[in-house]
Amino acid sequence: MKTALTAALFFLAAEAVACGYCVEDKIASTYDHAIVTSALARGHHVAFFHVDGAPVTRRALEQAAAAVPGIDKGSARISPDLLTLSFSFDPGRASLVQVNTRLDRRLAAHKASLMPLRVMERPADLKTVKR
Amino acid sequence: MKTILLAAVTVPLLAACNPSTPPDAYDISKMDLKPKPAKITAERHTGVFAEGAALSMGAELKKLDPSPVKTVRLDTTHKVIEIAPGVKFSAWTFGNQVPGPTVRARVGDKIRFVMTNRSDEPAPVPQMVAAPMMHSMDFHAAMVSPQDKYRSIAPGQTIEFEFTANYPGIFMYHCGTPMILEHIASGMYGAVIVEPRGGYPTKADREYMVVQSEFYVKPTKQKVDGAPLYVLDGDRLRAAQPTHTVFNGVHNGMVKTPLAAKPGERVRMFVLNVGPSKTSSFHIVGTIFDRVWIEGNPDNQMRGMQTVLLGSSNAAIVEYLIPEEGSYIMVDHHFANASQGAIGLVSTAAKPPAQELEHHNMPASATPTEPDAVAGKLAFESKCLACHSMGQGKKLGPDLAGVSKHRDTAWLARWLKSPEDMLKTDAHAKAMLKEYNNIPMPNQSLSEAEIKQFIKYFQWYDTQPAGAVKPQAAGH
Repeated sequence: MKTALTAALFFLAAEAVACGYCVEDKIASTYDHAIVTSALARGHHVAFFHVDGAPVTRRALEQAAAAVPGIDKGSARISPDLLTLSFSFDPGRASLVQVNTRLDRRLAAHKASLMPLRVMERPADLKTVKR
Repeated sequence: MKTILLAAVTVPLLAACNPSTPPDAYDISKMDLKPKPAKITAERHTGVFAEGAALSMGAELKKLDPSPVKTVRLDTTHKVIEIAPGVKFSAWTFGNQVPGPTVRARVGDKIRFVMTNRSDEPAPVPQMVAAPMMHSMDFHAAMVSPQDKYRSIAPGQTIEFEFTANYPGIFMYHCGTPMILEHIASGMYGAVIVEPRGGYPTKADREYMVVQSEFYVKPTKQKVDGAPLYVLDGDRLRAAQPTHTVFNGVHNGMVKTPLAAKPGERVRMFVLNVGPSKTSSFHIVGTIFDRVWIEGNPDNQMRGMQTVLLGSSNAAIVEYLIPEEGSYIMVDHHFANASQGAIGLVSTAAKPPAQELEHHNMPASATPTEPDAVAGKLAFESKCLACHSMGQGKKLGPDLAGVSKHRDTAWLARWLKSPEDMLKTDAHAKAMLKEYNNIPMPNQSLSEAEIKQFIKYFQWYDTQPAGAVKPQAAGH
């Protein structure tokens, strides 16, 4: 029941994000083709998040991403205007849920959290995230 | 009282039943407002970048395709285009051209649209074009959910959706992916023409599409075919200070290739001002717009207009007669825009003689490629030809061919900076004033950078072999 409720809330929230700022537009704001092609070539994935809660500085987001195991160094891309964070990660070292949880833990100090939007596991395939 | 009430009820009812009452062309109940959801796939199209019987690729418009369903493909690409002689710009496109192809339909037609993001495909000079990125399509002609149909797609993805053309007009299409300003200024725009259900109320002999737009570019050290690669200048873009304002994607483009018309013909011109940030005061020298249909809808009619004012993403159909033999000059009557290239011809001659051209437009067999010389040439052609020529002899002022050989750079710089001071102190300047009937050279308030550009252009001109540069057209 709790899982179903969480999923329902998540999808409602995702729709709210789409209102005014399309999810794909947020993704476009941090999409870096070099990061994508390099990550997918190594079997890594690229995840895109909405940054929710209090405003977080670019530096704080970069530091949080750099400190989480599994996230590829230097792959974080941030759009302060559209409140979007993306990075590539090694799914063999950490799942999307794990990197999300660990990042949320670090961003809690800033009263912020991440909402996953899409994950790219294959070229030209932006998959909706299901939790 | 009872009679009045009865009349109030029955008159509208009778009017509604009257078979002579014309149907409402804007009856919302007859519009298609329930298009199917868009579909995004990872299927990459590999054929031509633009296809569909409803597409016209240039200024000359094809007749309406009678099919009620128009299947249209416009793929996105990144490529280098030449927006002015020697100005090779790293552009983003729909259908591999700027502006994108024109879509032509009729009210009630369905547009079945498909687009593959091919910005990651190898280009002839891949290292010189922008990195692949996400793109989208925003049709102003459609009434659809932007969150569904106008979604951005990643390189390699394909989006398909359809909509019905509910209103007649000329509508812009453009990429709507952030930052939208950059996507439009990089070339991602075009037009959709939607004819009224019953066609236009007049009969035209010629139909042309003219798209006005701005470019904001700066040179880089990278070279394309020996010329500098130009990229988007973000500072100029945000300050709305274009370097080029053009018709159909090319500085003075329709001067070199005029649109054809014969005396006595009625020309229907579909004009769209893309912007992204400037208005257009569209005018044609030598005729009057018999009809202007604002936004391309004959219900919005004006008669006998000299100019039509178009904001960004505004459009109009202008219809006019060609009275006699001649070259009729299309121009943005904001002349600062015209001087940046928003100029073209509708000509009764296949190739109008050079002396008939507006002074802004000098076709040349050789053009500079060095950025300062390019800028100097454009500035010279915009500001100086009323009084000077390059190789065509004296006018109000001297012929400037060879000027960099008989005056040194420092002298030229001082002269261009402050001719009034030179006329007081310099013997050459005093002699020149006397030779030219005491008509002084006006101070053009040029910046140091502009002076450098003029001199670079003069120096370039003077190093060309004899006959390599065609004589400049006369000014007016």
